[in-house]
Amino acid sequence: MILLENLTKILGGKAILNGLDLQIATGETLVLLGRSGTGKSVTLRHIVGLMTPDSGRVEVLGKEISGHSEEELKFVRSKVGYLFQDGALLNWLTVEENVALPLKEFGKTPTSEINDRVQEVLKEVELDFHGDKFPSEISGGMRKRAGLARALISRPEIVLHDEPTSGLDPISSSIINGLVNRLKSSGITQVLVTHDMHSAFEVADRIALLHEGKIRSLGNVEEIRNSADEAVQQFLDGKIKGPLTQGAIDGVCDSEENGNEAT
Amino acid sequence: MTGWIQALGGFLGRSAETTGYGLVLLARTILSLPHLFSRRRLRDCLDLCFTYCLGSFTVTAVVALFTGMILALNGGDSLASLGQENLIGRIVAISMIREMGPFMTALILTASLGSGIAAEIGTMRVSEEIDALRIMSISPIRFLVLPRLVALTLITPVMTIFAGFIGILGASIVAANNFGVTWIAFSNDALENLSTGDVYIGLIKSVVFGITIATVGATQGLLTKGGATGVGEAARRAVVITFLLVIIQGYYLSWVYLA
Repeated sequence: MILLENLTKILGGKAILNGLDLQIATGETLVLLGRSGTGKSVTLRHIVGLMTPDSGRVEVLGKEISGHSEEELKFVRSKVGYLFQDGALLNWLTVEENVALPLKEFGKTPTSEINDRVQEVLKEVELDFHGDKFPSEISGGMRKRAGLARALISRPEIVLHDEPTSGLDPISSSIINGLVNRLKSSGITQVLVTHDMHSAFEVADRIALLHEGKIRSLGNVEEIRNSADEAVQQFLDGKIKGPLTQGAIDGVCDSEENGNEAT
Repeated sequence: MTGWIQALGGFLGRSAETTGYGLVLLARTILSLPHLFSRRRLRDCLDLCFTYCLGSFTVTAVVALFTGMILALNGGDSLASLGQENLIGRIVAISMIREMGPFMTALILTASLGSGIAAEIGTMRVSEEIDALRIMSISPIRFLVLPRLVALTLITPVMTIFAGFIGILGASIVAANNFGVTWIAFSNDALENLSTGDVYIGLIKSVVFGITIATVGATQGLLTKGGATGVGEAARRAVVITFLLVIIQGYYLSWVYLA
């Protein structure tokens, strides 16, 4: 379904992805964990062709997509929904108009069917009474749900979520987790990037820990919970010292010892 | 010294890259013109024309009125010392229609609309809305740049004609009040000496300026990086670059016309 092979991406002189290999099966929900700046969102952006790898292969739905033009990516993108961190709704359109946008722009679906589908997905994300509001009039959690509704309107086979619960209160997070689980039970393949461990354990089939541009650990929820890998345990426990912070902590200590300003 | 040369090299490299991006963006927008003739894009375009006209109407009127009055006051003063104050009409009309009207209108629209386009598209860029459009296979060029480019190309000549008219009106008031030139004498002198070529070059300039304002604004918006600071920087750069291009284009268009 999704295959990332030996993926490398250098940004600002730093290898964000450094030979990343990952395979996600049809209907699977995979959670990508990792410290900030380890390339989780960059990985998602490669899956949908928003970024081109410096080397390596990206295959989605059996099609190699790396380096393809926007026109050539249309087929794959029509099968993928993407939930951005803040929903990425257009401010001058209402929630309903935002959700309807992917269908209305191409003019192939009759208006009555578009309206029905908009109401259907808004109901699914529990926003059916807020369709006439503008993005600035609703909360962050509602914006994310509206973004998810827009991602679902085209009935995608794959949904990518970039930090779906960040900045949300526990109840809003639970609503989002419930939606992810409903999509999972309907057989949609999902990849989630998150720092929310509770959410990760609640929705994941498998969890991958990204470190130094590669998959450091990969397993199901129980395997990750009981992993002997110090890096996994450091991430789960939120410890400052450990393999994930080796360079950074040592760097700070070294510079402090030498009387230099840590940068 | 080496650092200075590196900085200059970096600046020139970035400028060349931005120029190339802007030219390709303009070419791709022009190629996407057939997509304008859909109900949604036409509606977007008309909405923008209305919003842009409404937003720049007052400031254009005030600036044009006072520009015409200043031209009449200064020109009239010099002409009166030669006993030729009855020539104010032609001087103001030619200046306003051929040079000052298009130039002044372009500067107003750059400050109010060009910076707005850069900030609007820049904000969409940093808040991932442009990426969201791309994932939905909606071309940001067709969806955002095309209606703005067409709207500005249409309203700049309209606002230029309006500015020219208001400027001449202002000048006629000063001519009558300060130099005793009657409205009839003023308008006769203006109309007799204003050629259709003057009107055409004024309109051609305004169309070129409109395209420039929209292209530079959209280019800077689409190239925005970073957060709020990046958006502010994009708007500032859009204004500075458009001002420079407008004055350079204005000179060369006048030069070609007068050659």
